[in-house]
Amino acid sequence: MNTDTTDYILEFENVTKRFPGVVALQDVSFKVRRGEIHGLCGENGAGKSTLMKILSGVYPSNSYEGTVWYEGKELRLEGGSIRQATNQGIATVYQELTLIPTMTVGENIHLGKEPVEVYGINWDRLYADTRELLTQYNLDIQPQDILQNLGVGKQQMTEIAKALSENAQVLILDEPTSALSEAEIDKLMDILDNLRDHGVTCFYITHKLEEFFRIADTITVLRDGQVITSQPTESLSVERLVSYMVGREMTERFPSSKHVPGEVIFEVEDLYAREPTGSREVLHGVTLDVRRGEILGIAGLMGSGRTELVMTIFGEYGKITSGSVRLHGKELHLKNSRQAMLAGISLIPEDRKRHGLVLMQSVLKNISLPNLDQFAGFMRIDSDAELAASLEFANSLSIKAPNLNVPVDSLSGGNQQKVVISKWLMSKPEVLILDDPTRGVDVGAKYEIYKLMNDLAEQGMAIIMISSELEEVLGMSDRVMVMCEGRSTETLDIKEATEERIMALATNVATENGVTETV
Amino acid sequence: MSAASTAKVKPSERPKWVETILTQFRINIQTYTLILATIAIWAYFYNETDGLFLDPRNFSNLFRQMTTTAFLSVGMVLVIVTGNIDLSVGKLAGFVSVVVAYFQSNYLTDYFGDNELLVASLSVLIGLAVGLGYGIIQGYIIAYLGVTAFIVTLGSMWLLNGAILLVTEGKTIPANQPMFSKISQGYMSSEVGWILGGLTIVVLFFTMFRGRQKKRQYNFDLPSLGTDLAKVIGLSVLVLVYIYRVNEYRGFQNPVLLLIIVALIVTYMSNNTRFGRYAYAIGGNREAAKLSGININRNIFLIFVLMGLLCGVSGVTLASRVGYGTISAGDGYELDAIAACILGGTSTLGGVGTVFGTMIGALIMASLTNGLQITNVEPAYVYVLKGIVLVVAVFVDVYLTRKR
Ligand SMILES: Nc1ncnc2c1ncn2[C@@H]1O[C@H](COP(=O)(O)OP(=O)(O)OP(=O)(O)O)[C@@H](O)[C@H]1O
Ligand SMILES: [Mg+2]
Repeated sequence: MNTDTTDYILEFENVTKRFPGVVALQDVSFKVRRGEIHGLCGENGAGKSTLMKILSGVYPSNSYEGTVWYEGKELRLEGGSIRQATNQGIATVYQELTLIPTMTVGENIHLGKEPVEVYGINWDRLYADTRELLTQYNLDIQPQDILQNLGVGKQQMTEIAKALSENAQVLILDEPTSALSEAEIDKLMDILDNLRDHGVTCFYITHKLEEFFRIADTITVLRDGQVITSQPTESLSVERLVSYMVGREMTERFPSSKHVPGEVIFEVEDLYAREPTGSREVLHGVTLDVRRGEILGIAGLMGSGRTELVMTIFGEYGKITSGSVRLHGKELHLKNSRQAMLAGISLIPEDRKRHGLVLMQSVLKNISLPNLDQFAGFMRIDSDAELAASLEFANSLSIKAPNLNVPVDSLSGGNQQKVVISKWLMSKPEVLILDDPTRGVDVGAKYEIYKLMNDLAEQGMAIIMISSELEEVLGMSDRVMVMCEGRSTETLDIKEATEERIMALATNVATENGVTETV
Repeated sequence: MSAASTAKVKPSERPKWVETILTQFRINIQTYTLILATIAIWAYFYNETDGLFLDPRNFSNLFRQMTTTAFLSVGMVLVIVTGNIDLSVGKLAGFVSVVVAYFQSNYLTDYFGDNELLVASLSVLIGLAVGLGYGIIQGYIIAYLGVTAFIVTLGSMWLLNGAILLVTEGKTIPANQPMFSKISQGYMSSEVGWILGGLTIVVLFFTMFRGRQKKRQYNFDLPSLGTDLAKVIGLSVLVLVYIYRVNEYRGFQNPVLLLIIVALIVTYMSNNTRFGRYAYAIGGNREAAKLSGININRNIFLIFVLMGLLCGVSGVTLASRVGYGTISAGDGYELDAIAACILGGTSTLGGVGTVFGTMIGALIMASLTNGLQITNVEPAYVYVLKGIVLVVAVFVDVYLTRKR
């Protein structure tokens, strides 16, 4: 195949993949060097995940056109099973973790290939093998840890270890960092560096463009299913990358805002809460307030209680033991999301698959679900009004779907996120809480979401935004509240907020020893 | 919608109409397999019984017999769609039928014997009230007290079985007041049948064109006019053949009309009311539904209330059809009702299922029972075959879905 001497492990040649009504990939051709970290970059729906699903055998070889050359041979995978790909050394680290929470790290890694003797499973060997594997790749987890007791970061390490235990030559990581904290991301980068030293080829997909520049050797940009460019990272800059992705220049990442905050409308004072089952206290003293027309950012590490806080406010998580939640000075006792919505508070939840969407249903039905009261009489839903309103939101967030009638699970991740956002915006709340609203959303769409948030703030909505990306917190908020271990530490005005200040507050250390490990 | 950026699908080499039929088939594979299965079963029995199976009398009776469990399946779809199950429906329908018979023969005829209409209406009302009342209690326990539906309805099954024995005292109670019998044993004149058929066809065409208009307006996938026309014309032909056939016997059967009306109402509710939409959302993703502000308990409560009411309807038609209440009333109906839902494509995991599919499922179950009866197969084999058909049908469905 190749005339040049570079050692290519993979080559895509004119790969085209069609779905009913959509061409997800069109004549995709590029090469991947052995042992490199290959970044795949593109807007939501560009076809990144689809390409990786072809490689991992989710879409069998006869379901697309073109050829994938792997180790010089044509890659043939059948039957929609990823087993075949794993056997050939192509492993995927799933974003939705596919591990069994009640089992140990070792059991999970060896699931389906436990060392068996006549008397049954040889546990000593299983754990010894696990330990060896973990030390070989410098993974900081214990073989006997029960998975559900680990943070997301360590769970993901387990997932990676599981892939590596199959002697993976090619490792696919599709948005691995979207659920990780900064510290965990650093750790992941170290692991990837280490893998490169071991000669493992990695595909790396992310919407956090800086990560490409930290880790990727080569970047391939996809736009509308076509390869725009594939070149070494050194020859690219963030700006160039963005313009390749969106097809135009994007001068700024955050739209300028002119918020004129009004009076305080929503306050939380000294809130203590326990987890719903059990007696562990998850919130110990949270105080915040947000004014009309203002965006309050909430920063903090994974596990600092941000999601627990907003879910508790919303009446869907913990038991409040003391403290108060007030809207317009009136104390609220919200028991569930319905009451919260009726009071004028909306929450865009963090985990879209679990909390946000009914995956099998259409985009339309998902968007209108919490808002049917707007269109429904006692016996009838005005479907024209429902359609018109949903279409308006779908358009203003430029959701990329053939039409509103397709099921949401056929949308790309970022577009699913936009559906979740539309769904909650339609209820026109007074206080809008967004829990990591741009997770998995591409730069262009992020910009749209930010613009929308600004517009809403200008119209007088009070907005609370949780974000794991410091840049986003700094770029969008008027004030930043920092949480640490279930407490609110300090609320900073945006003028006095810096990355260092926030990180120091979030990790609760004097800045001299930097970031503490909280995984 | 930025549909512009998603390129057009390249036309393939096959002729267009072949492609259309294939696509249609692929999209609606479930419905078509069901229809094909029905045809196969009918053809088999037609052959086995030298045509007796489809002769006007049996044809008419087949549909009449189907109604009793079909009412139960109509409610059961929604129960299963929300991720629940109701094992008590057979016994509840049976209980309703014996209570109706009990009141009719012990009190109603004695007090109001000269007023036929009053006796019949009171019988119906009592039946519906018993079903509704039981549904309310059962729904309350499941939705608000939080005992799982499986347990509650299993308990109900035993409880109601006992109640049936208590009411009947082990005897058979007649329920054959003439007007009451009309509910399940009456027929409409052939003119009325044709008028109903005509109306149905008009409505079919009207909804098709309205649907197309809407799909065009909102850029939904629009099947070609030919495809839609073929479908509607096909359905119209079925309607006409059906009416012709039942008119050859005694006319359009009252209980079938009742079933159609009930099925249409529930279909409408499931698509066009909050109640129905929420049911599908709850079954599809309970947590997302909850965070969307849906009152899950209330919705589930209402589903079981509706189920109870439909048990009432079913019980009344049962009493009317067989003309008495007996200790074995409603035996095993719950399983037929559940099987009809599953055959009709309702997902046991919740979130997916239609009344229309379920009705075809109910027809298949009824065809099997009826066909095996008239071929004089031993009852033992009726059970064996039903079991096999259910599992095979679901396997075929699973297989085809996986293939796609
Ligand atoms: N199963 C499917 N059925 C129909 N269309 C699909 C299916 N899966 C993906 N698509 C479509 O293919 C296109 C590419 O989707 P893909 O998931 O590969 O995007 P992506 O680049 O991973 O986006 P994101 O960054 O949002 O995850 C999208 O237009 C999507 O709607
Ligand atoms: Mg993706």
